Amino acid sequence: MKVLVSGAGGFLGRFVVQRLLERGHSVRAIVRASIDAPLWDGDVEIFRADLRVSSELSAAFDGVEAVIHLAAAVTGNEDVQFASTVVGTERFLEAMARSSTRRFIHVSSIAVYDWSCVRRTMDEEIPLVKNAYEMGGYTIAKVWQERLVVRAAKEYKWDLTIMRPGFIWGPDHACIAGMGRQFGRIYLTFGLFTLLPLSEVRNCADCLVLAVETPLPGTHIFNVFDSGRVRVLRYVSEYKRRSSQRGMIVPIPYRLGLGIAILAKWTSRLAFGKKGKLPSLLMPRRYESQFKPIHFSNEKLKRELGWVQRYNFPESLDFTFSKDVRVL
Amino acid sequence: MKKLVGVIVGCGAIAREHLAVLSNFKDVDVGAVCDISPVRAEATAERFGIKKWYTDHKELISDLRPDLVHITTPPSSHVPITKDCLAEGLNVLCEKPITIEYSDFEALRDLASEKNLILMENQQNKFHSCVLKIFDLVHSGKLGDILEVQILNSINLVGDGSPYTDANVSHFSSSLPGGPIGDFLPHIAYLAYMFTGEVLEVRTIWEKRVGNTSLRADEFRGLIKGARASAYVSFNGTAKVEGFWLRVVGTKMRVETNLYEPPRFTVRRFRSGEPSLMTLLDGIAESRDGARGSVTGFVRKLAGRSSYDGLEELLSRTYRAIELNQPQPISLKEINDTCLLKHRLSRLESSL
Repeated sequence: MKVLVSGAGGFLGRFVVQRLLERGHSVRAIVRASIDAPLWDGDVEIFRADLRVSSELSAAFDGVEAVIHLAAAVTGNEDVQFASTVVGTERFLEAMARSSTRRFIHVSSIAVYDWSCVRRTMDEEIPLVKNAYEMGGYTIAKVWQERLVVRAAKEYKWDLTIMRPGFIWGPDHACIAGMGRQFGRIYLTFGLFTLLPLSEVRNCADCLVLAVETPLPGTHIFNVFDSGRVRVLRYVSEYKRRSSQRGMIVPIPYRLGLGIAILAKWTSRLAFGKKGKLPSLLMPRRYESQFKPIHFSNEKLKRELGWVQRYNFPESLDFTFSKDVRVL
Repeated sequence: MKKLVGVIVGCGAIAREHLAVLSNFKDVDVGAVCDISPVRAEATAERFGIKKWYTDHKELISDLRPDLVHITTPPSSHVPITKDCLAEGLNVLCEKPITIEYSDFEALRDLASEKNLILMENQQNKFHSCVLKIFDLVHSGKLGDILEVQILNSINLVGDGSPYTDANVSHFSSSLPGGPIGDFLPHIAYLAYMFTGEVLEVRTIWEKRVGNTSLRADEFRGLIKGARASAYVSFNGTAKVEGFWLRVVGTKMRVETNLYEPPRFTVRRFRSGEPSLMTLLDGIAESRDGARGSVTGFVRKLAGRSSYDGLEELLSRTYRAIELNQPQPISLKEINDTCLLKHRLSRLESSL
């Protein structure tokens, strides 16, 4: 199958392209002009473009049967993220609408969920966040990006599979938001028993390629989490030990942190009204979306796509922190 | 009473600052927003509870006939959009720099004068709380005669992820004379003009100190000889400690403020007495001013106050001028003179 991958030069994109090649697919990879094309094992057609500005994106879809849309910004201020993630997607979808391609695999995020609605387990039935503007630039961008994709799929009658991974981690990307905050040599972690919604980059790539290979008519949504329960304390300890970082882990009970955040919010409301601003750690909804101690279900992924996890947590740790890993 | 209607054309970061300020105005409604990206326009409208959004400014102005059009698009589109609005008989408040070329400003100025319309450039720092405080000291005579003005702007244009040096997407400021520095020159020019008055002579140095960047220049120095005083102005494009310092030295007092950290403001007065004791007292007073300003600035941030100090006052005065049919808060002549000064400051950059 000929697959177009946007964001192919990014962290996840490099592994997705490699996995597509391993599975015998033909790949056209959209890579920004400023970065060197990754060293994939196999022939990859490089399409140089930046979705924010490139004028001729239509040619990228020539002969393409399926698209994996990964392009998004994970850093930068709200405007940078909106331009890269949302406006870029808007232009990408416009170009696809002019093509004959009809299958779209969209890589979203669990940031689009309303975490306050999760009682015990996060699955695909959890409603989407209502007011994304309270949640910061990344969530705003991912919510709008998904909206655009769903609208376009409906309008042009594409088959759409939305994949919502948790924290994607791997070599050079082991420091994830769910770890907490580092202040000098002190690691503040939140929730003694909080589980992390991890998705090791190779496992995540497997899931996306599986989505390409599994034709599903209409729109489908899958959360992408690795199996196995990894608690934040374990992850941070491994991270610290394997990256040879010195320092002390200070675990803060989840409810204590949430209580402080709620107190800060109401103090801000009393003092400054609705316009008051707080650091994200002191905003209850944002705190919740990073540290809430819940379970993460990948049952639908296993049941409907038949996904079998290739790498368990210890293997992923070895891969992530090994000095012998070849960076693509 | 009928509310005034404003509209926003261009839904980037600065538009959000305008919209946040307008949400505080009880007598102004935002009728619609507009952006060439439909999703950006729609998202902005949703966020601020605005009913209509457009992707074509001509359609917007013909539908709504607003009292004021805020143009917050990149500079290269200011002239055509402003022309369209003025031609339709609408008042305009345009982001800086209002035009890239001075000759374009002359054409807009003449059109606005002919049609008796408001044509404002966003010169928000004119109404910055610290600048207004300095002006009070000048006008009350407490500062004495102005001896020197220094305006020092430092911004890291080349840091990781800087949009000014994005190798994939050229920043809008790269088309300005002076490149990204040219985007900040209007602020420097109108602040300097406030103190120097009519500009008699301008000298500049433009330099590229850091080789491995796409910037044409990362350093700018200027000397402005004015009818009332002289000013030294500068811009550093590679400084990690950012700030926008305004120092005014008078015969009786020296005042200093960082416009990025309002309301931090320090004053050193002339004191008679034992010099070493006075130095101690001055040091204590400056520390107190600095600490008070820092704490108040922190509380302002917690309160969600805009970092664009001065924008609220500028918008408020502009809408008041429209409502009461009064002259615009910054005269066309003054905007003209500062555009000309900006043009003179950036002129030598083209020879780099």
